[in-house]
Amino acid sequence: MTNISSDTTNHDFKVESLSIAFGGLKAVNRFTLSLQPMELQGLIGPNGAGKTTIFNLITGVYLPDSGAMTLNGKSLLGFKPHQIAKAGIARTFQNIRLFSEMTVIENVMVSYHMRVEYRYVDVLLRTARYYRIENQFRERACALLEIMGLENRKNDKAKSLPYGDQRRLEIARALATNPKVLLLDEPAAGLNTQEKVALMATIAEIRNKFKTAVLLIEHDMKLVMGICEKITVLDHGEIIASGTPREIQNNPKVIEAYLGVG
Amino acid sequence: MKIIQKSILLIIALAIFGLNYFLEDNVDGYVLRVIINCGIGMILAMSLNLINGCAGQFSLGHAGFMGVGAYASALITTVLTLSPFFKTDLGVGCAILTGGLAAAVAGYLVGLPSLRLRGDYLAIVTLGFGEIIRICFLNFEQVGGARGLPGIPRVANFFWVYLWVVVTFVALLRLLRSSYGRAILSVRENEIAAESMGINIAHYKIVAFVISSFFAGIAGGLFAHFQSFIDPNSFVFNKSVEVVIMVVIGGMGSLSGAMLGGIIVTLLPELLRAFDNYRMVIFPLILIILMLVRPRGIFGHKEIWELFRKKASS
Repeated sequence: MTNISSDTTNHDFKVESLSIAFGGLKAVNRFTLSLQPMELQGLIGPNGAGKTTIFNLITGVYLPDSGAMTLNGKSLLGFKPHQIAKAGIARTFQNIRLFSEMTVIENVMVSYHMRVEYRYVDVLLRTARYYRIENQFRERACALLEIMGLENRKNDKAKSLPYGDQRRLEIARALATNPKVLLLDEPAAGLNTQEKVALMATIAEIRNKFKTAVLLIEHDMKLVMGICEKITVLDHGEIIASGTPREIQNNPKVIEAYLGVG
Repeated sequence: MKIIQKSILLIIALAIFGLNYFLEDNVDGYVLRVIINCGIGMILAMSLNLINGCAGQFSLGHAGFMGVGAYASALITTVLTLSPFFKTDLGVGCAILTGGLAAAVAGYLVGLPSLRLRGDYLAIVTLGFGEIIRICFLNFEQVGGARGLPGIPRVANFFWVYLWVVVTFVALLRLLRSSYGRAILSVRENEIAAESMGINIAHYKIVAFVISSFFAGIAGGLFAHFQSFIDPNSFVFNKSVEVVIMVVIGGMGSLSGAMLGGIIVTLLPELLRAFDNYRMVIFPLILIILMLVRPRGIFGHKEIWELFRKKASS
């Protein structure tokens, strides 16, 4: 395993040569990526290329067979998912995973928990500190929901939201962890063209407002082309191309992977 | 708001104190016993609700925790005879508290397998734990073995039991309305998402087990010091199932639902005494009908006051 934790240029997120195999299948093979602060990158590839597996590797759901992963020069390898979240990497899920029986605002407030400053005693006695921090959480959650356009549904149950709003809530919840790197797993899946365009604008806006780097998985090439600075293309678990949107568009390997050999 | 809350609590405590004397003078012994058993049922149901309803785990060993609390507190007030202090109201209160803490330790140990197991598999493990506890009591001659443990000071009256009902209710409600409560609920809702939002799900599963078994232990201690006699048969598997029924018919995740469930399951068999032997057919029948009419429990996930609020707004 290579260890690059001693790297000196450290204000970024680096993944080096990450690999994992499920039985005989090499799901991800030597995946390498580097994200500058506030950079917006796209990760595209056909079905089954290993995009979500990469997210699962980064967030600690799977342990990679080999490779290295660092944020601000600190190795994240072997961290549990909740430790990864605390370190500053948040994600959304392709198949929506909201806390569906909880209200919209509670969904967001769960993400504040890892930095909660009151103790069980404050909870039981409802001390001034409990009220102060609870109000503070509520205000922050409201502000966040307003940015995502969900503030008028904050007391509804998450499962009662329309599909597009559920996707937005997933992003809001991930943002509430105050991430340095935000991983969005097909945030536009299932939306109509209009909604997709609006969502992409929101994502670009989020990046500036929350000063976070964004790694975006998306099927729709056109969408990613519009907002990403750099795109990595994956097929059969391997990187087949990476570069600016323009470079990717004209890359014969990418065209082959998407359209097949003519 | 804060002052209103505190004064309401004070009024309730005073009301329980006053009601205690009223009931002892004006209600016959049988009715009072049933009322007190309802209180113990409520504490058990509310505490199990934290594991089964809120954290989304499945425990079938609640009678075991109750037993630990009952035996631990009864040991202090009888067998150990540390000092005459433990025969007084306050001393018994301390003993019951110790029983709760002992149960919490047991809860920690039983919570550990919940990190690797879920659903039915966890239920089997907790069931096994409950039986192990009971069989230990059955075979330890020091605590009376099968003959049971007699001569426990009868101190837990209406006042003490219902004071603990209020304490349990307030403590658990406040817990659930806090960031810790949201963390516990998120584990039930979606473990993978909770983890990704920085919730240490292993930690909060254990927390749910520990807090829940603490209150189950308290219920056990109250039970012991109300009956003045306990034997291993008080903590059989059936008792655990009874508590699960309380939680399920009240509504998983609803504290007020658990309280109502505790009352129904304790009260119904008593009310049906008129039907003699048929009551053990009629009681389950009523439960079946209840589940058919309200499949998610009487209150569902909601608290009773939230139900009314919803009706008022629509």
